[in-house]
Amino acid sequence: MSALKDALSFGDLPISERIGFLIFIISCLAFPWVTKGSFAQSVMIQFLIFCLYGLGWNLIGGYGGQVALGQAKNVGMSAYTVALMMVWWDVPFWVSTPLGVIVATIESFILGYFLFRLKGHYFAIATICVSLVWQQLFINWDLIGGARGVELPLRETPNFLYMQFDSPIYYHYFAFLLVLGAILFMNWFRKSRLGYQLRAISAGEDIAESLGINIHWVKVKAYCITGVFAGMGGAFYAVYYNYIDPFSVMHLELSIMIALMTMIGGAGSMWGPIIGAMILIPLDRYLGTWLGGSGVVGVDFMIYASMVMIIAAYEPRGIWGIIEKARIRGSGYGFLGSG
Amino acid sequence: MEMLLSTVISGLLMGMLFALVALGLAIIFGVMNIVNFAHGEFLMIGMYAAFLTATGLYLEPLLTLPISAAVCFIFGICAYYALVRYLLKGPMLAQLLGTFGLMIFLRYLAMCIFGPDYKTIEHGLLIGKSINWGPVVLSYSKLGTAVISVMAFGIIYWLINCTRLGMALKATALDVEAASYMGIDTEKMRGLAWGLGGATVGIAGALLTNFYYVFPTVGLLFVMIAFATVALGGFGSIKGAFIAGLIMGLIIDVGGTYVGPQHKFALIYLTYFLVIIFRPQGLFGW
Repeated sequence: MSALKDALSFGDLPISERIGFLIFIISCLAFPWVTKGSFAQSVMIQFLIFCLYGLGWNLIGGYGGQVALGQAKNVGMSAYTVALMMVWWDVPFWVSTPLGVIVATIESFILGYFLFRLKGHYFAIATICVSLVWQQLFINWDLIGGARGVELPLRETPNFLYMQFDSPIYYHYFAFLLVLGAILFMNWFRKSRLGYQLRAISAGEDIAESLGINIHWVKVKAYCITGVFAGMGGAFYAVYYNYIDPFSVMHLELSIMIALMTMIGGAGSMWGPIIGAMILIPLDRYLGTWLGGSGVVGVDFMIYASMVMIIAAYEPRGIWGIIEKARIRGSGYGFLGSG
Repeated sequence: MEMLLSTVISGLLMGMLFALVALGLAIIFGVMNIVNFAHGEFLMIGMYAAFLTATGLYLEPLLTLPISAAVCFIFGICAYYALVRYLLKGPMLAQLLGTFGLMIFLRYLAMCIFGPDYKTIEHGLLIGKSINWGPVVLSYSKLGTAVISVMAFGIIYWLINCTRLGMALKATALDVEAASYMGIDTEKMRGLAWGLGGATVGIAGALLTNFYYVFPTVGLLFVMIAFATVALGGFGSIKGAFIAGLIMGLIIDVGGTYVGPQHKFALIYLTYFLVIIFRPQGLFGW
């Protein structure tokens, strides 16, 4: 019960953050009624999906400080579970999603159990290698569609059980509910025992261990939770797009995109992933469409890469770091900053 | 049996090239504990430098080696002074993603300038010839590549282990502060490590143009192999990079022939994964 209270109370945050959160909720709720363009709505849903991925990744990558670059495989496994069960056995979304999330979580657990024996760069490279193995397997595995991917059967009438709707509004609100749930979870998490343990590990593993924290087990737990978030995002992705292939859900670029987004927004802060997604996703989609139409290839990626480099070089705590610095300077508590 | 022999030999030859690509990564990591995601893009730059000089001036492709080495040396130093210097102050996440940003930037810059087409060099001393040695057929280009790779590897090994410059590099790698007390300009040494890393991969790129296509995204495949190679050998270990490079070459060719060519890359990552479970620091790491 107290966990629920922790999740719902935002009382310890400054008033500006609470107002910002309220604005976020209101604008998400009002968005489909204000904007009618279908492109804008699809960008918004993508933004929400990436928020979900980012909030999950922030747990292990931001709070935990472990550079795990393999979120895409969890997204992919869950998406494939949902899609294949729907294609082969006609299983409703609401039954296959928990299974997909469980598959993604078990994979995270096994992998985390072995890989968290590694530290630093070894861990980062190992997660990349594992996700490349999965990617190659999924591309070459003909039973599950191989490189062609899986197409979900379309239904003639809107069907809630299979998450088939005739308007993107329903998808929008469903994704928004997922994100809201994720934010509430993170709000609980940052005040929980696990949250403090994880931050202690990020600050210094040896010290955390000497305080009696079982660092291996805490990291594995956090990695599993990350897998749950990715799994939910993947399941939603499958029913929203009605089509998945190894390049859209298993690809290494997706993993890295998630990490980049979180870092630009501010890894290890509560709102960082949302800010990152708010900047990167519209930039990516609008700039890509606009420049792609004029025949220039890759300028959008160059702008995006320059932004990443500048942020990484000058403010590794991301945009949230800049906001916090400005706030500390404004309030005159300069010496308390940089925490 | 004959097939096995010829795949083993061609795997070892390719492995020497992989070792050379991994060497640059190992030097950079050894000196300043940073993984260079843009390493594959340096390879791509080396390949384009070789390709453009070879076709533009109608030069023998082997003579382009110093040119692409020089181009990549300069690129490496520029990358250090313009970006990596600042990245080193941040946490590991920022370092990884910062070099990743450099990688995307260079790749799409190349895409803008050269277009996405695949290109090859058609003339040259080594191109299109092969030697029949009993049942084993060896192409000149792979043989020459392997020989020059090993030579380049030897030169770098000598440079690092037997010269004053190499000792300064090693001192910087061991302890930056102590090295600067000894009068070593550590900032310069780090820049030099990036230059050397770039130059080795530039040579590898120039060699690779002899038998591989040149295109803007060529780096990704090789950088992933190089990551697995360096991590398998142990980060920062030059001997490890060489042995692991040979192992990777063997797995790609032998595994590709006997398990199926579509699984060869999955095989190398899987091997790496199995090794790392039992020996987390890599084969020759500490």
